[in-house]
Amino acid sequence: MAVQGFHPSSFLTNETARLEKAVSTGKAIAAVSGGVDSTVAALVAKKALGDRLSPIFIDTGFLRAGEPEEVKSRLADSAIGLKVRLVRAGGRFLESIKGQSAAEEKRKKFRETFYQVLAEEAKRDGCEYVVQGTIAPDWIETQGGIKTQHNVLQQIGIDPLTSFGFKIIEPLSELYKDQVRLLGRHLNLPSDMSQRQPFPGPGLLVRCIGNVSKTKLNLLKSSTKIIEEKLGPFNYEQYFGAVIENRFVKDPAHKKLQETAAAALGLPAPETPVDVFEERVTGVKGDDRAYGRLAGIKIREDSRETLGWLPEKLRHAQSTIVESTPEITRVAVLVKERRGGPPLSIIVRAVSTRDFMTAAVAPVPWKILKDIAESILKSGDASRVYYDITPKPPGTIEFE
Amino acid sequence: MTVIPVVYVKGQYNHLIARRLQELGVDSQLVPPSTPLSKLEGMGADALVMGGGPQSVRSLDSLPQELKEASALMRQTKLPMLCICVTHQLMATTFGGKTNLARKPEFGPVEVYVNEEDSILQGLKPSFTAWESHNDEVVALPPGFKALASSENCKIQAMRHEVRNVFGVEFHPEVSHTPKGVDIFKNFLAAIG
Repeated sequence: MAVQGFHPSSFLTNETARLEKAVSTGKAIAAVSGGVDSTVAALVAKKALGDRLSPIFIDTGFLRAGEPEEVKSRLADSAIGLKVRLVRAGGRFLESIKGQSAAEEKRKKFRETFYQVLAEEAKRDGCEYVVQGTIAPDWIETQGGIKTQHNVLQQIGIDPLTSFGFKIIEPLSELYKDQVRLLGRHLNLPSDMSQRQPFPGPGLLVRCIGNVSKTKLNLLKSSTKIIEEKLGPFNYEQYFGAVIENRFVKDPAHKKLQETAAAALGLPAPETPVDVFEERVTGVKGDDRAYGRLAGIKIREDSRETLGWLPEKLRHAQSTIVESTPEITRVAVLVKERRGGPPLSIIVRAVSTRDFMTAAVAPVPWKILKDIAESILKSGDASRVYYDITPKPPGTIEFE
Repeated sequence: MTVIPVVYVKGQYNHLIARRLQELGVDSQLVPPSTPLSKLEGMGADALVMGGGPQSVRSLDSLPQELKEASALMRQTKLPMLCICVTHQLMATTFGGKTNLARKPEFGPVEVYVNEEDSILQGLKPSFTAWESHNDEVVALPPGFKALASSENCKIQAMRHEVRNVFGVEFHPEVSHTPKGVDIFKNFLAAIG
């Protein structure tokens, strides 16, 4: 699809000229994750700097199974030509977020470690510049206090030179994801890479809601694999899972949620119990960060079988719950549960979005959601699987 | 070429407004609300679009700095204006209307019913789906303004000045999930052209 107002060739000419001037005869490292933003940023910088650019890949430990090796070999392919140095820092990242359960604290600790590692690598290579794939929504959401992205410093008044000893180059900071994909295609990036599914910089860290533990991370890794396999063919712009502990808020005020859900769904209240999770999740209400609760609606199996998916009615239930209860930012619906399993839930999320600034819930066929839930529950490591039915706003695409 | 600066008041979608206008062939970039009128004239501005933000504007006395400046700019400029979300509310408060906590806030998709197509809502009758994100809303129109559209929860989804090309919308025409949002920008361009 052509996007008016953005011309990859003139963008590239202007941006490489700007980089040549800015870096002059200096050297730079590029932080690459294999995602489209950082890969395209590195390719733009390489056009300007040639061999004076060294791409590096940081294994944060929060990546998907096998990802560091796969990305390294894919980027080295002659069609892309980025020979990355792999830096293993998993233990260091895990240590840095130890004991943290609040989303923003986790994100800030991650950012700190990320730039410390980059600083050491830049120093080692004698580089005074770091190239990163920050795009417009990253700094907009960080500056607006919605969430701290790991790759934003200057826009919130942190000087990278005094804090970490290098200068930052962000060739894509005014672009959105769809424009970056266009630019990637213009740079002959193979389509599997230019169209690659987005993955957050802090990775599974922010999909492990609340405290991070090895048990939660392992369940998340195996569930991610199942979800990506089953939802991949649908071409939604984003789809993934998150893990949360089954600890619920006991508040008499929440009793009315069950009635609200029942009214919206046209069912008797006893058939629609609602649980409110204790761990907080990120949302955005009225252009402001809303770090609130996640409500999980359970619809009794026989009603579900008679009524099917109910996307319109669930949408109505979601909006009435969020509108009437300020502390609730997101709503999910239970797909399947296994009684007596470990007290962990997987929340499946799939959305359609053009630029990641707003998102609509993807109409995943109920049968597919059930398939996913059954595969996840079969592992025996989780007891519930939910589907998130919150658009952005009031949700965000990710959970933290 | 049409020049329309977007007044940046810290909303997440402000940058998207400039992108949408650029896609329509307009020369558009973000400017701070403190930009002096002389500078806007120097840029050859044909109109202003003001974006949304996370602030509350129920009273003019307790406005944060950027909205004090935006309110002053609204009063001083004679340019056509399209104000979105918080600046729609700010326009109501500035010109003698009233903004208050919404009886029911709106987040995500909302059906907006067009009462009067007028200029910016041309071709959008009877209704269209818009993406919303607001806790407050305009509860009383300022003198000289009329309401153009409403939703189930919110009576004033769009308003305009009866004479000047000055418009306010509560919803977000700039996001891709408001499929007909681009029509509103096109209509605005036609109205000022």
